[in-house]
Amino acid sequence: MSLLALALPFSFDRPMWLWLGLLIPLLILASLRSLAGLEFMRRTMALFIRSMLVLLVACCLARVEHVQRNDDLTVIYLMDRSHSVQELQNRQEAFVHQASDNIPDEDRVGLIDFARDAFLQQLPTRGGYYISPGRLPAMPNTDRTNVAAGMRLAMAMFPHDTAKRIVLMSDGNDNMGDLLAEARRARADGIPVDVVPLDYQHRNEIYFDRLIAPTHAEPGEQVAIRMVINSQRPASGTIILQHNGRLVAIPDRQARVELRPGDNTFYMKLSVDDPGSHVFEATFRPDDESMDATARNNTGSTFTFVAGTSHALLITADPDFDAAFVDALRSENVKVAVKTTDQLGEFGLLQMMNYATIILSNVPAAALTDKQQEELALYVKDMGSGLIMLGGDEGYGAGGWIGSPVEEVMPVSFEIKHKRVIPRGALALIIHSCEIARGNFWGKEMAKKSVDTISSQDYIGVLAYSWSPGGENWEVPLDLNTNKAAVKNKIDKMQIGDMPDFGTTMQMAYRGLVSGKGRDAAQKHVIILSDGDASPPLPRLISQYKKAKITVSTIAIGWGGHVMASTMQSISRATGGKFYQARNPRQLPQIFTKESKVVRRPLIVDEPFQPQLLHSYSEILAGIDPTSDALPPLGGMIMTSPKQNPNVIVPIIRATDDGEDPVLAHWQYELGKTVAFTSGYWPVWGRQWTQWPKFAKLWAQIVRWTMRQDAPANFDTYTKIDGNSGRIVIDALDKDASYLNLLQLRTSVIGPDNQPVPVEFIQTGPGHYEAQVPIDKAGQYLANVRAIDASGRSMGTLRTGLSAPFSPEYRDLMPNEALLRQVVDETDGRWLDMPAKDADVFSHDLPPTEARRPAWEWVLAWLLLPMFLLDVAVRRLASWLAFSIAVELVVLVFLLIGLDIIHTNILGVFGAFLLAELIGWMIRFRYIGPLFDYMTHTVTALGRAGERSTASLDKLKSKKDEVRSDLDGEKDRTGKVSTGEETLDPLGPIPLANAKQRFDVGDAKASKPSADLADALGGAAPNRPPAKPDRPPAQEDQGDDQETTSRLLRAKRRAKRKEDNGS
Amino acid sequence: MHRRPSINTNWRRALQGLLLSGLAGALTACEQPPLTPNGVIAVFGGVGLGPGAFSYPRAVTAEPAGSLFVVDKSGRIQRFSPQGEFETGWTMPQTKQGKPVGLSVAPDGRIFVADTHYHRVIVFDRDGIQLDAFATKESGSKETQLPTDVDVDDDGFIYVSEYQGDDRITKWSPDGQFVAALGEGPIEGVPLRRPAAIDFDRQQTLWVADACNHRIVRLSREGEILAVFGGFGDEPGHFRYPYDITVTPQDTIMVCEYGGNRLQWLSKDGRSLRVWGDAGRATGQLFAPWGATYGQNGDVYVVDSLNSRIQVIRP
Repeated sequence: MSLLALALPFSFDRPMWLWLGLLIPLLILASLRSLAGLEFMRRTMALFIRSMLVLLVACCLARVEHVQRNDDLTVIYLMDRSHSVQELQNRQEAFVHQASDNIPDEDRVGLIDFARDAFLQQLPTRGGYYISPGRLPAMPNTDRTNVAAGMRLAMAMFPHDTAKRIVLMSDGNDNMGDLLAEARRARADGIPVDVVPLDYQHRNEIYFDRLIAPTHAEPGEQVAIRMVINSQRPASGTIILQHNGRLVAIPDRQARVELRPGDNTFYMKLSVDDPGSHVFEATFRPDDESMDATARNNTGSTFTFVAGTSHALLITADPDFDAAFVDALRSENVKVAVKTTDQLGEFGLLQMMNYATIILSNVPAAALTDKQQEELALYVKDMGSGLIMLGGDEGYGAGGWIGSPVEEVMPVSFEIKHKRVIPRGALALIIHSCEIARGNFWGKEMAKKSVDTISSQDYIGVLAYSWSPGGENWEVPLDLNTNKAAVKNKIDKMQIGDMPDFGTTMQMAYRGLVSGKGRDAAQKHVIILSDGDASPPLPRLISQYKKAKITVSTIAIGWGGHVMASTMQSISRATGGKFYQARNPRQLPQIFTKESKVVRRPLIVDEPFQPQLLHSYSEILAGIDPTSDALPPLGGMIMTSPKQNPNVIVPIIRATDDGEDPVLAHWQYELGKTVAFTSGYWPVWGRQWTQWPKFAKLWAQIVRWTMRQDAPANFDTYTKIDGNSGRIVIDALDKDASYLNLLQLRTSVIGPDNQPVPVEFIQTGPGHYEAQVPIDKAGQYLANVRAIDASGRSMGTLRTGLSAPFSPEYRDLMPNEALLRQVVDETDGRWLDMPAKDADVFSHDLPPTEARRPAWEWVLAWLLLPMFLLDVAVRRLASWLAFSIAVELVVLVFLLIGLDIIHTNILGVFGAFLLAELIGWMIRFRYIGPLFDYMTHTVTALGRAGERSTASLDKLKSKKDEVRSDLDGEKDRTGKVSTGEETLDPLGPIPLANAKQRFDVGDAKASKPSADLADALGGAAPNRPPAKPDRPPAQEDQGDDQETTSRLLRAKRRAKRKEDNGS
Repeated sequence: MHRRPSINTNWRRALQGLLLSGLAGALTACEQPPLTPNGVIAVFGGVGLGPGAFSYPRAVTAEPAGSLFVVDKSGRIQRFSPQGEFETGWTMPQTKQGKPVGLSVAPDGRIFVADTHYHRVIVFDRDGIQLDAFATKESGSKETQLPTDVDVDDDGFIYVSEYQGDDRITKWSPDGQFVAALGEGPIEGVPLRRPAAIDFDRQQTLWVADACNHRIVRLSREGEILAVFGGFGDEPGHFRYPYDITVTPQDTIMVCEYGGNRLQWLSKDGRSLRVWGDAGRATGQLFAPWGATYGQNGDVYVVDSLNSRIQVIRP
């Protein structure tokens, strides 16, 4: 049965209905009687067709499906290109090449390589593996092995209509994703995973297994640092320890260490004085570098939080400008640290967390990297800290902060939303970035960055060389930046071409800014992004720019490759703009932010005004009486708009004829609090404020209001990293050392990519809570855990974190064969060995794939209905000709169906037509043969009849002559002349039957063709017995009639009796 | 590597073999269409780094014997037969700063390549053996000048078109010594802006494709301006960034328009004779073509750059 199922291109969804086929014998038995009147051949055909009808109805009810089976094979190789096996890439490529040599024509080969991410390098393609050895593109992020990602991609890439096989080449040191889960999915999809193990063993390897320090400490405490270093062989070397980035002097006897094979543990004690986070980093440097295969895993890091009073940090471009402000705060006992923007360097979230609030005083957005801006927003939102922004000519929108993550957490929007008439800026971008790797991507990203940075009241336009028609175009026409999403959408659709010269685009920008929509802009600026090899503009055009006071800044990109900087330098120099040489794409966002804000100068209100107190009930203005404490005037501010949110409070405003501008606004945003003071810039705008007696009190109050409320919960914490996951353990005890149960511990862990990941703590014992943190990047993971007891009361917060100095990829010393074996077992795969000639990767031992399509409707329309017609035709079509045509049509339909199934070409259709014709004509021969016989026989018979008639005539003639001579003799005897009739009279009247028989030659055979002809042309009941010549036809008819009548009468009587019985 | 025959294949074979064996021959003898549309007689190339494939080809030249040389943005020079069959190829000695955009075959068969971003001309034989090289920035030229094309006159003097601020044609002795600069200063009020290609005619006058001025300039070998025509536009006789110019066997000129995505034939007095091609990816269409040349049998080979292919036209 299964063999039959394999051979037939059909299957059934509800095979139970096929039992209907058992009706066929019954049907045959029943039909034998009802079809008894048909001749044998017709009866046989009718029975066959009826059986087929039953069978087809059964098929339809059983939901017959067309099954397309295919035993072609697709093999996708998964090539591990992570760090641990990078030296084995050549072997892997050689394996793929050898194993894919001479593959069957219809089979396909694909290749996916993976490390942290998976990439499709060759689509499943017929004919073999086409990528030459050594031509695979460089693999990014080799610090992880994510086999699961490769498996997922492979399963998505398989064509649906072939058998599938994955050949995994790996060392099995999977440290990202869930390989076994993907293996189970592969098994469910019927995809075996063959494994080619990559074998190696690092015999000379030293790695820093762990650096352990207490998570919390008190100021002045000596914290114990424990270092665990693993070595494969005995080795010696030096330990170098850094504390908060500074080298710690260690006595030689402690720094010089001897390692034994296995784990080696060393201790050290260090004093921690300042409150905040303390980062420790220890590195082992071996004396003999040959003892260590890779140096990337020789560093360990950890951190300790030291409790202390809350500090504020003031970040400023110029500390002198803020000296009075800082003094005022300190006079109110607010602890303030000051950093200039130049000192920020690697200032990250961990460092930010040392301060309870951060004050940005006239800091432009470009002073912080995009990452730092994101971290600043997280510092407020997720870490519950404070942020205060003070204005100045580089603050808010004028400082390029529009659209930044920081704007999101502030109580004011840096845009002017209401219908204020303010001077506008106009920015034209000229993008020529197509000649650099991913240049157009960066060109578009930076254009979008500019759209975000400038106000919606400004003009923006983007010029580029477009390919078709070849020429320079306003890809984004110069217009108001009102709908930023629409403008960015247009930028995304740009097709940036290779611009031949700067002159044309600069000319277009000039026209747009001077006589086009940008003509009413107060500030006009052009930014050119290019590799500089376009033709420079004519000096005449540069003069026009200078005259129109349009500045042009140029940004040369080339990532260290060729850049023709001289032309770009001369353009920016001549027009008063700036020239930048971006060495890598990461520098671009800051440059664009800085340059785009040039057009935002109109947001600065550089005129004195009297600020007005609006909400004296604001908690940060407690103690300021609006009646007695008139606010001192301010010399200027930056225009912003308060956010439309009920939490936003704007206690101080600048009132003008056409609206109110916020001067001081504050709100709580998620866990943190932020304050916007749009003036500031104390020596220039706020001199009178710094002399105001309540200045210090007011600002101390504001700063304290924003500060993160550190109420450390007195819990023990412990963290550990194991492979690609980290564990945070908290033991909660109250002051009586009783376990605290049923606590709610809430936190999000912020990893190196600044994406907060919510983690869930599960209580696993009395007062014991654990949470798992996915660790997929090297770096620091911070969490601020809020503890809430069973009654909903906050028990304070707890800072903790993990440090993953290097990926587990760098500690793999040998393959993980057990995991690979598990994959093979899970998926019914095979264990292949490296010499590819022995690996039968393309063996066709997998079940063929089946593609099923429902076919019952089609059977109904194309088989069942024609069969019905044929059934009628067999029984009712008296003509063999008509019958043959019907059969022919049915055969043709059958054949075409068959051909459709095997997808033949036009020749196949033609062949089917021929075959149907052949069958049709074979039936027709049955009819034509007798007809031919009849015709030839008749002609012969007529010929013979003619001859016999002539003989008879001669005979009659001689008889006539004889009679005449007798009559003449008699006449002569009687003397009378008689007529012709009279002549015939003696013969008497001739009956019709006899008249016919007059021409009957008396040949018995001559009647047979007549019977056959009637049979062929007219006989609805051809099986009737041949007419007996000796039986009069009238009697025969009568007899039949009588018989039929009596049968009918009998039947009627029976029916009557039955009816009577029934009733 | 045993393989079970497909069931379907067997059916098909049996049925077709039984019924149709006599018909197969009659239906297979069909003729190929003689020409692709728009006069294109062949197309070769395609995107790739393998032999015969291109990564943004930017210049083509043909030697008298008929072989073609194509340079692309991977820095490779490939030699093809007139039928487009790959013969050989080599890579420029350095490519990190940039790749060549122009090359020519000298009357003696040597291949002169304008190594644009290295400010030099390199001379190869037809098999890629480097014969000579001279730096165009060393004497008489600004350091930052970028050579775009090179051509050799009947006397063996080498002419190099340069751009980037001081756009002009420089003339070099056969041994690579600077001789003179041509086309400096305003020409009809505007100096040359990116002379993208040069070619000599039979009268040994030099035709210059002044790309960013969208015009053609004819110079004598001494630098005398003989004719200027063109201007920006799509109408015949005007140009959108003419990136290549070639003197035809009929002694007219053929201009390849990078921005106009077309070829234009002109008489020597600037009258447009014919325009061919439009923008697109189909056969017979061009996408940012950088160059074109006449080859064997008078066929024209167009570098269809963004389509990474060569189209062969029988004009």
